[in-house]
Amino acid sequence: MTRLRTWAFEIGLGARMSVAGGRAGWTRLALIATGVGIGVAVLLAVATLPTALAASNARTEARTENIAASTDLPRGDDTMLIGIATMMFRGDSVHGRMLQAEGSRPPVPPGVTTLPGPGEMLVSPALADLMADEPLLAQRWGARVVGTIADEGLSGPADLAFYLGTDTLTEETGHRIAGFGYAGVEDEGGVSPVMLLLSAVGMVVLLMPVMVFMASAVRFGGEARDRRLAALRLVGADAAMTRRIAAGETLAGALLGLVVGAVLAVGAGLLVNRYASGAMSFYLTDMRPVPALVALIAVGVPAVAVLVTLSAMRQVVVQPLGVVRLSGTTRRRLWWRLILPVLGVALLWPLKDGLGGSSGVELQAAAGVALLLIGLALLLPWWVEATVHRLGGGSVAWELAIRRLQLDSGTAVRAVSGIAVSVAGVIALQGLVSGVESTIGGEGGSDARPFQHEILPRADLPDQTWITALEKTPGVREVQTVRSVYGTQDGTSVRIRIGDCAVLAAFAETAGCADGDVYAVDVPAGPATYELSDDTTWTPPTANHEVAATPSYEIYGPALLITPGALRGMKVPSAETNFALNLDTADPDAVEHLRNTVATLDPQTLVSEPGNATVAATMRTIRQSLLVGTVVLLLLIGASLVVNVAEQLRERRKVLAVLVAFGTRRRTLTGSVLAQAAVPVLIGMTLAVGFGSALAAALMAMVEAPVTVDWFGIGTTSGVAALVVLGTTAATLPTLMRLTRPGNLRSE
Amino acid sequence: MTEQPLLTAEDLRLSFGETKALDGASLHVWAGEVVALMGSSGSGKSTLLHCLAGILTPESGRVGYAGRDLSAMSDTERSALRRGEFGFVFQFGQLVPELTCRENVALPLRLTGTGRREAHRTATEWLERLEVADVADKRPGQASGGQGQRVAVARALVGRPRVVFADEPTGALDSLNGELVMKLFIAAAKETGAAVVLVTHEARVAAYSDREAIVRDGVVREQEYVR
Repeated sequence: MTRLRTWAFEIGLGARMSVAGGRAGWTRLALIATGVGIGVAVLLAVATLPTALAASNARTEARTENIAASTDLPRGDDTMLIGIATMMFRGDSVHGRMLQAEGSRPPVPPGVTTLPGPGEMLVSPALADLMADEPLLAQRWGARVVGTIADEGLSGPADLAFYLGTDTLTEETGHRIAGFGYAGVEDEGGVSPVMLLLSAVGMVVLLMPVMVFMASAVRFGGEARDRRLAALRLVGADAAMTRRIAAGETLAGALLGLVVGAVLAVGAGLLVNRYASGAMSFYLTDMRPVPALVALIAVGVPAVAVLVTLSAMRQVVVQPLGVVRLSGTTRRRLWWRLILPVLGVALLWPLKDGLGGSSGVELQAAAGVALLLIGLALLLPWWVEATVHRLGGGSVAWELAIRRLQLDSGTAVRAVSGIAVSVAGVIALQGLVSGVESTIGGEGGSDARPFQHEILPRADLPDQTWITALEKTPGVREVQTVRSVYGTQDGTSVRIRIGDCAVLAAFAETAGCADGDVYAVDVPAGPATYELSDDTTWTPPTANHEVAATPSYEIYGPALLITPGALRGMKVPSAETNFALNLDTADPDAVEHLRNTVATLDPQTLVSEPGNATVAATMRTIRQSLLVGTVVLLLLIGASLVVNVAEQLRERRKVLAVLVAFGTRRRTLTGSVLAQAAVPVLIGMTLAVGFGSALAAALMAMVEAPVTVDWFGIGTTSGVAALVVLGTTAATLPTLMRLTRPGNLRSE
Repeated sequence: MTEQPLLTAEDLRLSFGETKALDGASLHVWAGEVVALMGSSGSGKSTLLHCLAGILTPESGRVGYAGRDLSAMSDTERSALRRGEFGFVFQFGQLVPELTCRENVALPLRLTGTGRREAHRTATEWLERLEVADVADKRPGQASGGQGQRVAVARALVGRPRVVFADEPTGALDSLNGELVMKLFIAAAKETGAAVVLVTHEARVAAYSDREAIVRDGVVREQEYVR
């Protein structure tokens, strides 16, 4: 008990010392608390994601209809017909349903009290706002908005959704349901292994620098603290006591950091609730972090902070007459630093030929990536030490910097390891995103071929009605009819399209096409008979050209393209009529006018666009988020670099004053500071680019994308890192100027 | 001794807050002369040395060096002067801890543009002269206090300055090491013809000077030629 009380006193003394140092003490505490707080906020955000996503998914499931299970449902007093009217506006998907009650007790979707009648619609608040801002969208469905959908019927506050009352659905054009709520799918798109891999790697890339940053933050002002501890040793504190007092000091900062982190997390939650869009839009009530994770953060962060402090103190011996640093005398060992990267490679190696279908591989990949990134953080101190020991010569500034790094590279490396891990992770993620983009064919914006937009009607309207309406639509230059037949041969689905040469050019490389030609895309040449959906068979004209699909249509698989002349009076069975459009793609409103025309005639009609716009848009968002994330992370690291360098300068104020007394030019000292920051960053970046590119290559191989070097990602991140070094030097200049006044010698 | 003094301080006044560090101090130093500034703690002797060296600027009064007015020079000009004409020795040596002893001694030469190889060669000669060649490739932390101080003396003299300012150069050494450092220091300074302005409160250190000036309450009260 006495011992416990003594320990409590010592830890309490440490906590008191953390605020007793006047302005410098408070500054140090604020820096630790801010650093830890930012880290805790990120951790809390991660701990909140599972519940927030689950709440959002639960609402999405509650409004989803099990169409497949209700195909034989008889009409009843409690049934309704629905039509899928989901459509894009600009880059966003607008969830839409046409509702038509069949009796007096129709099912009601969540968030709706009264079903809209024909010509009426209910909209989500976000869609209402968007319609108010966008006249083009407001006129899309030609219905009167009679109310809004309540929160329980929406995935989040930014969800764009509507229910359109109608009386035009038939059993052929609609789906009969007896209720809403279907837990069979996660969401309309499903979660692909690639997306899981992206999320897992993203999480690792996000958390690693946060950990490094937090570890760096709790060491702010460590040198001043060691001097205080030396003073305590002079009055009788033993080595164990000084460690406990140091733990107390760190604990105070870490606990304050928890509070700061909680406040930041709440602030971030409010911002997300207000401004986030898409899948990241949540209600405030959704954002409740998982209690077990919160407990882990509350206990783990202070514990790790104390461990980091104690581990840092292993490098110094606090003696009554001062502090002796050991870092200059002990050389770092390589062998144990290689264990984690080797384990990482061992985990990733089996996945080099693709993820395959087995479950758990994403976890294996994420673990491999995490081990490699942690391994990078461990390898870096050895790498920097080994490199700077081989450097020498040069100007006085260079020599001062290199000798300083040779004596103690630990401080610089701590901050740089954050940069290295972030950059390696971001390069890997950028590479993965590029890989995924290359497999989905992009947004098609660069493909200037005409007839890339296709209308696939669902309602049974006369062709001429469509053609007339489409031709009147602003931005539509030309409308062509395409007839489509879906056939199967040897288990392979083949889409057979019949249209003019001009139209077929949108689907495949049909240069030199003449009426009478037949093109095979990924279909064996020669005559073939196809099984059709109505159990009949059809033998279309034999292909006389084998060609490749256009980039936008690569993902649609095998196809047979027939010009009308090749049919020579042949009867085409159960073909559906689609319309290919030559759209003025330079006008961003053209496609919105087209969607308006389509929604007016038949909201269920699908507007097919070149490329895979949705996935490409997601990838673009990820890319942009990555860039923003990189900048934020590097700024964070830059802030810790500034603090580290400023602290080092303060520590060396007497030496600096002596150098100035000798007449050393300020630019020599500035150059020395610049080199001292730049050399570790350069070494770290080299290692990071190597690790990151190797990781990117491994990830690309996993998603079966062509392995390429993402020079854009490397260039951007390296450029920002260089800016961080320059910024760090610039930010420490005022301190340097202040400390290099010759008058500082007066303390001698 | 030449007709004109090399270094002059005339009626210097400088305060730190309420404390008057210099209150009309005047001093002349001739080329090749060793002057000891003596006085108790807080008497203003170190402040006077810093003003003479152009490290501090007095609030009033004039510091002259070889006919030039230091007080009127810009910070850059005074830095250039310190780089080319002055040398310094401090109580704790104040060597740059990450540089080796040889690199520390070579530093003033390199700052004035001498090539690395030439600077190191000259530094080695000076280390030999001050009998500390054995620590040339060690860092200051690996040398003893006396060795470190001799390295500091070598650093002060390597550029063959016209004036060396020494602030309690033996303050951190035992008497035996202190004697050795002073003997080597003054001998080397005399050999190069450098004037030395020495701040000390120890009579046995002051005994190495040509003249003792007593500083009290920020004023040079008495001056006495000891040899």
